[in-house]
Amino acid sequence: MSIQKKLSRLKGYMSISSQSDDQKQPLLQQPDEKVSIPYLEQWESFGAKPFFFDGQYCFVREVSYPLHYQHGHYQLGELYDVHRQWKHSRLEHPLSSKRHEVSDLFFFDTETTGLGSGAGNTIFLLGHAQVLDDRVVVRQHFLPNPGAEVALYQSFLSEVDYTTLVTYNGKAFDWPVLKTRHTFIRDVVPKLPAFGHYDLYHASRRIWKHKLESVRLGNVEKEILGIERHEDIPGFLAPMLYFDFLSTQNPEGIFGVLKHNEIDVLSLIVLYIHLSKQILGANEMKSAVEQFEMARWFDSLGEVSAAREAYERVAERNEQEAAKAKWNLSLIYKKEKRYEEAIAIWQELLQDKSDLLKIKAATELAKVYEHHFKRVEEAYSYALHAYDIWKSLVRTFKQKDETKEQELLKRLCRLARKLKK
Amino acid sequence: MNTVKVRKTIQEVIEEIKQNPEYREQIVHWHTIPEKEAKYVPFPFELDERLKKALQERGIQALYTHQHSAFETIRRGEHFVAVTPTASGKTLCYNLPVLQTILENPEARALYIFPTKALAQDQKSELNELIEKAGATINCYTYDGDTAANIRQKVRKAGHIVITNPDMLHSAILPHHTKWVSLFENLKYVVIDELHIYRGVFGSHVANVLRRLKRICQFYGSNPQFICTSATIANPKELAETLTGEPMVLIDNNGAPSGKKHFVFYNPPIVNKPLNIRRSATLEVRKLASEFLKHKIQTIVFARSRVRVEILLTYLQELVKNELGPKSIRGYRGGYLPTQRREIEKGLRNGEIYGVVSTNALELGVDIGQLQVCIMTGYPGTIASAWQQAGRAGRRHGEAVIFMVASSSPLDQYIIQHPDYFLERNPETARINPDNLVILVDHLKCAVFELPFRKGETFGGLEVDEIMEFLAAERVIHQSGDKWYWMYDSFPAHNISLRSASQENVVIIDISNVAKHKVIGEMDRFSAMTLLHEEAIYLHQGVQYQVEKLDWEEKKAYVREVDVDYFTDANLAVQLKVLEEDKKRSRGTGIIGFGDVMVQAKATIFKKIKFETHENIGSGPIHLPEEELHTNAVWISFNRDVVNDFTEERIEQGLIGAAYAIQHVAPLLVMCDPSDLHVVPQVKAVHNEQPTIFMYDRYPGGIGLSEKLFDAMEDMLVTAKDMIIHCPCESGCPSCIGTDTTNPHAKKDALRLIQLFLR
Repeated sequence: MSIQKKLSRLKGYMSISSQSDDQKQPLLQQPDEKVSIPYLEQWESFGAKPFFFDGQYCFVREVSYPLHYQHGHYQLGELYDVHRQWKHSRLEHPLSSKRHEVSDLFFFDTETTGLGSGAGNTIFLLGHAQVLDDRVVVRQHFLPNPGAEVALYQSFLSEVDYTTLVTYNGKAFDWPVLKTRHTFIRDVVPKLPAFGHYDLYHASRRIWKHKLESVRLGNVEKEILGIERHEDIPGFLAPMLYFDFLSTQNPEGIFGVLKHNEIDVLSLIVLYIHLSKQILGANEMKSAVEQFEMARWFDSLGEVSAAREAYERVAERNEQEAAKAKWNLSLIYKKEKRYEEAIAIWQELLQDKSDLLKIKAATELAKVYEHHFKRVEEAYSYALHAYDIWKSLVRTFKQKDETKEQELLKRLCRLARKLKK
Repeated sequence: MNTVKVRKTIQEVIEEIKQNPEYREQIVHWHTIPEKEAKYVPFPFELDERLKKALQERGIQALYTHQHSAFETIRRGEHFVAVTPTASGKTLCYNLPVLQTILENPEARALYIFPTKALAQDQKSELNELIEKAGATINCYTYDGDTAANIRQKVRKAGHIVITNPDMLHSAILPHHTKWVSLFENLKYVVIDELHIYRGVFGSHVANVLRRLKRICQFYGSNPQFICTSATIANPKELAETLTGEPMVLIDNNGAPSGKKHFVFYNPPIVNKPLNIRRSATLEVRKLASEFLKHKIQTIVFARSRVRVEILLTYLQELVKNELGPKSIRGYRGGYLPTQRREIEKGLRNGEIYGVVSTNALELGVDIGQLQVCIMTGYPGTIASAWQQAGRAGRRHGEAVIFMVASSSPLDQYIIQHPDYFLERNPETARINPDNLVILVDHLKCAVFELPFRKGETFGGLEVDEIMEFLAAERVIHQSGDKWYWMYDSFPAHNISLRSASQENVVIIDISNVAKHKVIGEMDRFSAMTLLHEEAIYLHQGVQYQVEKLDWEEKKAYVREVDVDYFTDANLAVQLKVLEEDKKRSRGTGIIGFGDVMVQAKATIFKKIKFETHENIGSGPIHLPEEELHTNAVWISFNRDVVNDFTEERIEQGLIGAAYAIQHVAPLLVMCDPSDLHVVPQVKAVHNEQPTIFMYDRYPGGIGLSEKLFDAMEDMLVTAKDMIIHCPCESGCPSCIGTDTTNPHAKKDALRLIQLFLR
């Protein structure tokens, strides 16, 4: 039996979704290299030029914007302002650009044929934006067919000296995929330089995960940065449009994807400006939730004084986060051995609405009186207080965490023994 | 201990059993295998001093002949497959050459493939012990689903020896090969242990995974040597060559010593003559095992299901009920935690534990030391696994005894009554069909995903341009220039499971624990009709589950653990059409054919059948739509006229009886589960209008079982004939032609129909 006949007979078992017949036009064969580039005129009038290398070509497209170009709430040139502020700030922060020049920053985004970092996922568009003295340049490298990767990476890697990438989730996605693609052709194209990397996704998630339903870039643009997109192609359609382009070579649909990517990289500039302003102006932030998250971020970075200041601001506010901020603040005081200030907070938290905070505060009080002030009686009464609240909690919720209970009981028993001595 | 009872030696107990009429009558055959001296060869001259020292510390002063041959073969640059019985030191066959190479060249890498995670863990410990004794810095890691994310990178970059399983290779390593550059660039050895496990659908998948592996190695400029080890099967060299696509050297000069062994064929007495029902094998095993255990002679008992293990364990632990603390008779089966297993293994080695009841889980090469007695509750299904289980008994010095206690099943009865067949015959042939189109296409998709395919490039020596064109037309891949590229926004390996049949699988979900539903397996739709219909009893690793709900649209079967004394058997109304006859030959007064068939099947009703007695204790309807299966089949037909003295009805009954017998003897020739091959009798087949018996592969596209039967048909029919002739029943029983026949002539008629092909 012929293979073709068998294949169509067994097709049902092969997890190939059947497509309607009208879609199955014969595939367009690739034109001979170099001879003619299909739809070249359209490409050129879209601002793209072919880049030839080793018998292959890719497209390179360049678009410039003036520094005063308004994108959402900011002008692109405001990058210079925040860069100056970073330079003057004492803060050591992963997003700080004080050790770079503005033009070192490459705002970078890719479009791929699928998700994941498997070897079969291809990048078909590499886009980046760079802010220069007089303008902003967006440059895009486009893969016209999967056989032209050498040309694509040659063009991407040989022209510019990238030192610092600014991406949105690039650490987990774009960069690993890029490394995978590069591995295939590493013998014939320049090496991948060691990039510095700012990933704005993690920063955004930290600050806005409570506020936004999703921290996709599109959502951050809309909700935070005031960027409205018109006639935009949703990102998830990009692979389909690319497959379609491959079989027809008509670039009309794919131009939409390039446009989408262009806005993406511009948005990264604005997002960086916005995030920097938030970080540098943490003490003046409007939202208590965001201010609290910012303080926690400083805290985790070991920027204690910045964290303390921001917590203090949140603690002064009459909002839900105030209690949590006070608690975190008290831990900083404790570490700094400012016991009186810490105790004042704990005493205050004993009156808080949250039983869990009450238990934590009472426990801390018990600890500080036992170990620091050596006043066993006071320590015992706080420990007992903590245990009582715990008991009533357990009664209400009919669930308990054994280790927590053990911990509370152990302290109580030890203090009771000390009292008897 | 102040009892007067004197502990008997194994010889004394053996003698006693021989004398006792209660046992003597049931012993069909007593076979003695003489002891064998060890055959040693000095360490190879070039063997690294550190390795020599490490071996000497373990008390090894020289190599067994097969270990030496393995070392030499690898050093010559050839691939090999070593056939090694249990406890013959097979791991040194691969560990020595691999470690030697890494000591000489620290850049060298090796990939070890084990069928299960548990085996991988065992091997890692053993290997690390050797490495430590040698005082070498060699990184040896397991890489599987349990490997923590934070050490994965280290494994990928710095692992000299990476131990994994085929599933992980398929779905995690190969599709991400760019993260494994240092492994693939320097890969010198691929070790495939337990080769015989890779048969049927699983083996056919793994062969394709290895084709992909070799393709990637080629891309990175490496060309690894393959090292395989296998239990005894009929065709280790052929299987290894088909699986790896490389010429293999067969190493079977086993030099490990073994003591004297007795192999006893034991058939329980008949308790119901007309129905030919024998006393339960479980009860007989309990009696036999007690004889040894009461004298604290180390004994291992094998049972086929987890339920049986538990029953036997309960019985046998009666013997030690007065012991405090951990018992000295223990169960040992899949699902035990590694620490539990270690504890039992240790107890066995130092003698604290002297009885173990195990499922077939122990068949795979886990080291539990050597025991003195092995008792099998029923024939384990294949000659190969029977020998593996038997291998658990037998110390290097001293006697050992193995009992095979038969159940009433036709296969058991055939084996027990034909000890020569078992003892002299080659074990089964393991079949795979890497070129099964469904499997092949699945892996070609993965292969294109991993690396673009060049026009004219072959895959395992196969020309695949036509398939590539087909995939391009389906818009899964894209042709650019002279290459095909993956252009589809999904990850192909995710939808392909190596361990199950076609893609359209029914997922089996255990809902016994309401709070924690658990997926315990999957099954192809075709088999699900008869095995996962509502109320079906589904056996998973020996545990019984009842199907509570089968959601055919969503392809989910919800099951709950139960403990019942029956199994279910569903009727499948089958229509079978020959699409194309590829091979054909005459034989006797009949025709034997092979080709592509389409099977249309609809499940109709099911019966509940009691264990042991096989009584029908209830039935119910099945409401499922008709399914289609395209596969390979072999068939035997004869001219209606040669039996013109038969009525239609007698032909039908005769065919049903013959089909039943064939279904049960087929596993003797091809290594498969009886359910992998379906047998369908038809009084008037559509393609030739003659009485015909079809045997078809249950997997779409076929995996080579029926093809093998086309060549081995005579052997199989002779075996079926013998089985029927030697069955002492009067007119058919579950041990020969089954109980679906109602006609009193059926047994005789089935025999006559089979003989038509043997003249």
